[in-house]
Order: sequence, then structure tokens, then C-alpha cells
Amino acid sequence: MLQTENTLFTIVMILYFVSMVFYFVYIAVKKETLSKIAFFIQLCGFVLHTAAIVIRGIGAGRLPLTNQYEFATSFAWGLSLLSLVFIFRYKFYVMGAFGSPVIFLIIGYAAMQSREVRQLMPALRSGWLGFHVSTAIIAYGAFGVCFVLGVIFLMREKMKKDGFLDQHIPDSKKLDLIAYRSAALGILFLTFTIISGAIWAERAWGSYWSWDPKETWSLVTWIIYATYLHLRVRRNWHGKSAAIFAVIGFVCVLFTYVGVNTFIPGIHSYA
Amino acid sequence: MRFAIILLVILAVVCSLGSFITQGQTYSWYASRYSERTAALIIALHLDDAFHSWWFILISSFLCLNLFACNLFRIRTLVKRPIGYWGAWICHLGVLLLILGYGLGQMTYKEYTVYGVPGDMMAVADASLAISIDDFRITYNDDGSVEQYTTDITAYNLSVSDGRSRSASVSVNNPADIYGFRVYQNSTGWAARVRIQKDGEDLQEKVVCAGDILPVSDKPDLVILFNAYYPDVNGYLYSVYYQGNILGMNILLPKDVLTIDEYTVTFSEPQTYTLLQIKRDSFTPLAFAGGLLVLTGLFLAFYMKPKEKNNASD
Repeated sequence: MLQTENTLFTIVMILYFVSMVFYFVYIAVKKETLSKIAFFIQLCGFVLHTAAIVIRGIGAGRLPLTNQYEFATSFAWGLSLLSLVFIFRYKFYVMGAFGSPVIFLIIGYAAMQSREVRQLMPALRSGWLGFHVSTAIIAYGAFGVCFVLGVIFLMREKMKKDGFLDQHIPDSKKLDLIAYRSAALGILFLTFTIISGAIWAERAWGSYWSWDPKETWSLVTWIIYATYLHLRVRRNWHGKSAAIFAVIGFVCVLFTYVGVNTFIPGIHSYA
Repeated sequence: MRFAIILLVILAVVCSLGSFITQGQTYSWYASRYSERTAALIIALHLDDAFHSWWFILISSFLCLNLFACNLFRIRTLVKRPIGYWGAWICHLGVLLLILGYGLGQMTYKEYTVYGVPGDMMAVADASLAISIDDFRITYNDDGSVEQYTTDITAYNLSVSDGRSRSASVSVNNPADIYGFRVYQNSTGWAARVRIQKDGEDLQEKVVCAGDILPVSDKPDLVILFNAYYPDVNGYLYSVYYQGNILGMNILLPKDVLTIDEYTVTFSEPQTYTLLQIKRDSFTPLAFAGGLLVLTGLFLAFYMKPKEKNNASD
């Protein structure tokens, strides 16, 4: 069963790569049909990605959300899901050209991790695991979308020179609003993640908040997006400044996930 | 609003700084890792315990004041408005309660640890509680990794004269609530039976946990420290101290006897001990109530508030 998951994972990587190439070609040759093909390939990749995660879960006999590989592939899954939803909802296919490289990078990071299935340590044997990690996946996916929109916002002025892109990218106000909606979804789910993690930590470690580096950086990420939301309320902080914060916020997300595990030891060493 | 934003940015910066500097170490530890000047700076700025430092508490207090003032001034504009408009207000109240719940909890919580092997009975210092360890089990997965640690305990309430007691089973992720305290399965380690004889006659015998000392009963200046047990070689690492000075350190196998003047020491019956954490934090429910309010507030603000005029789906 895990061999099937391995095969599916490889196919998913290829599909995400092909989808990324189609999105790039769509922008280069300015042909509408290519964006639809790229979206469809990404959708196929997403369906197979879902199947791969489900098969790994069945094979492992538990939720496949407990180590670097499993969380990385789920992170890419969440980002793919959220980007598909936002592209479809706002008919904003240019976003795919900016989002697909991020998805490909994250799934590439997953491919470099050990795929060995290990038994869960006692602290991870909790009903809170599924809720805590799945809300983090949605939160990180939404922040990824917000980051992509922030990057597009910051590059919009340059892209205005290209008539095709200018036509296919929403105006600054609308772009800012879509980014706000993804950040709002992200911070809501990150709050779920932090609170469920606190409840779980209280039961497992006897303390709901220990200033463990992972906890601290989740809080830093939460504060960055809370600042982003406050900045948007101030009239003069709309747009560019908010977009810069959206980019900083996602850097924090990546640091919370990859950087903390790499540079700072803590009790979250398995994730 | 500007003050709140500045506070949030400062908080994010100090939290990230605190995460990079290993917390709770000594000056010499920081000096060996960084430099003497950096170590002195870390200690002077309380960066060794950043999250409990006076300046961190000050920043958090300013944030609380800001949240309180913000909610106080805003409430008049919200009366009679639909629930969606209350989202930010409820969220701010939640953050305020969360910080207060955490802060008050940190100031007032009581925490104790007890450890021992089945059959041991331990009084929990100034907690009017005694814990008897009835059983301790470690279950394993097929690959040999640990599945669960479980301790069966009986707790005695010493504050009442009728010797009231309650039994419970405690495992990782499944703490037990007893007499206002929460008991957690924290960790485990090795223990061994240490037998001391004097001139061939039994003097004392006790099960000692790794890291514990056993003073010789008729010569308390002479102390045996049981450092560790190595199951792969069935060896016991020990140290011997006399009047605070180390006399020696070695590994003793079961067939070996340690001789110190007229005393002989043997180690046997390696077994695992359980370490339980016993805690009371009366403000945890307040912090969690704050967390729930933050969630409710965010949901109301984002999804129940009438949308902005520029609808993104247009």
C-alpha cells in the first residue's frame, strides 16, 4: 500500500510541475485555453494527492500527519486546495503561475524527507492530533495564498505594462480584498491550531503554554497577521504595506515549519 | 490603534528573539556558547528568561491596558448593532482574558513532582496529598517503540481526618483530576535495589531511582549515588562521595561487589520508576475561555459582519 502511495506521490509531483509549466506558458503566449488546462492538471494532481494521503493513512493505520514528510505533503495539499478554491472563486488564473511554484517547492521539500512510517510516540496518541494539524494545514494554505496575492500586488505596477496581465489581474483594491479574505481564513484556522495545541499540550505535557520554539513562532505568526489585519483597518495602510506584511507573514509560516525544526531544538522535534 | 500596532510588532520581535536564545541557562553556559560580553548582556537584559522578564510583563501589561481601553471606548458605538459588528470587540476581550488567565496562572500555580516504583507512598509537599503508586506499566508497539506509559495510583486527601482516598489511572494524554489537582504521567527512568552490608551483616536495603543518593545509615557522610542503569550490559553506574568529595565512579555488574572499608554495596533488580507531575492552575479555564472568545470573535468579524462595499466576487 505504501508503494502505491510512493507511486502516486511521484505522479502528483509531475502533475504539479506540468501544471506550473502550463501556467507559465499561459502567461507567455497569452492564450486563455492554457490557463484552463493548467487548472485542470492541478486539479488532477490535487485529487491524486488526496488519494496518496488517504492511502498512506490506511497503510500506516493512523492519521498521516505526524512527521516532516507527512506534514510537508499535507502543507502542499492544503496550499493546492486553497489556491484551487481562490482561482476558481475569483476566476484569477494568473494566481496559478505564482502559486504553483510555491506548491512545487513545498512538495519538493516533502520528497527530500524520510517517508518511513513509524509508530506514534505516546504524546502523539491523542484525538487532538487530527484537529490540531489539519487546521494548521488549512491555515498555512490560506497564508500561502495571501503571500502569492501579496507578491502579485507588489509586482502589479511592473505587470501593468503588459496589457494581457493588466486585464487578467484584478485591480489593486480587489486584490487587496482577496488577500484580506485569505489572511482572515488563515488567522481563524491558526487560532484553532494554537488553541487546540494548547489544550492538547496541557493534557500531554502538563502545561498549555511552555514557550517551546514552535509555540512561540506560531504566536509570532499570529501576531504578524493580527498586525496585518489592524493595518488594513487604517486607511493609509491599505495595499502595499499590507502586501509586504502578507509576505513577511508567510516567511514566518515557513520558519515556524522548517526553520524552527532545523535551527532551534524543542519539544515539537517530530513535526 | 497605532499604539496597538507598535505593541504587536514589539511583541513579535521579542518573542522571536526569546526563541533564538536558549532559555534558563547560567552565565557560564552563555559565556561558553557565545562570549563573556554577550553572556553578560543576556543576563543583564533578562534574555535568559525573556518570557518572565519585567520588560516582557510590562509590554504584555501595556497590551492589556490597550485592549481594555479599546473595548471600553468602542462599546458605545456597538450597542444595538448586529452581532457581526461585535466580532472585533469579542476577539479583543478574548485576548485580554487569555493574557490575564495565563499571567495569573503563572503567578499562582502550584506544581509538584513525585516519583517511585510500585508500592511506594509519597507525601506531596505542602499539598495535603499523599500518592501511592499501585502499578506502573509500559506497553510497546510491534517495532519495540513505547506505545504508552500508565501508572495506577491511589491519592489520599490528608486535609480531612477520615483518610479519604481515590484511585485513578494516569497515562500520557490522560491526566487524572484528584482533589483539585491534576496528575500527569510525565516521564520514567531506571531504579535499582541497593543493598549495603557492614562486616557481612545487612545494614540497609532500598529501591533507589537513577539520580538519587543513598547515605549510609550509620555513616551519613558516606553517600552512594546511583547514576544510571545500562540494560544492554546489565551494568549500574554509581558514584561514591565522602563529606561531599567524590571517592570514585564506576560501573558495577550484578556479580560484582563494591567494597568501601567495612561496607559492601550491591545493586540488583533493575526496574522502571514512574515520574508524575501534580499541578493546580485555577486560571487555566479563564485562559481557555479567552481562547474560545478569540475564535468566536474572529468568526463573527470575518463571516457575520456585512461585507465591505467593494465585493471581491464582483
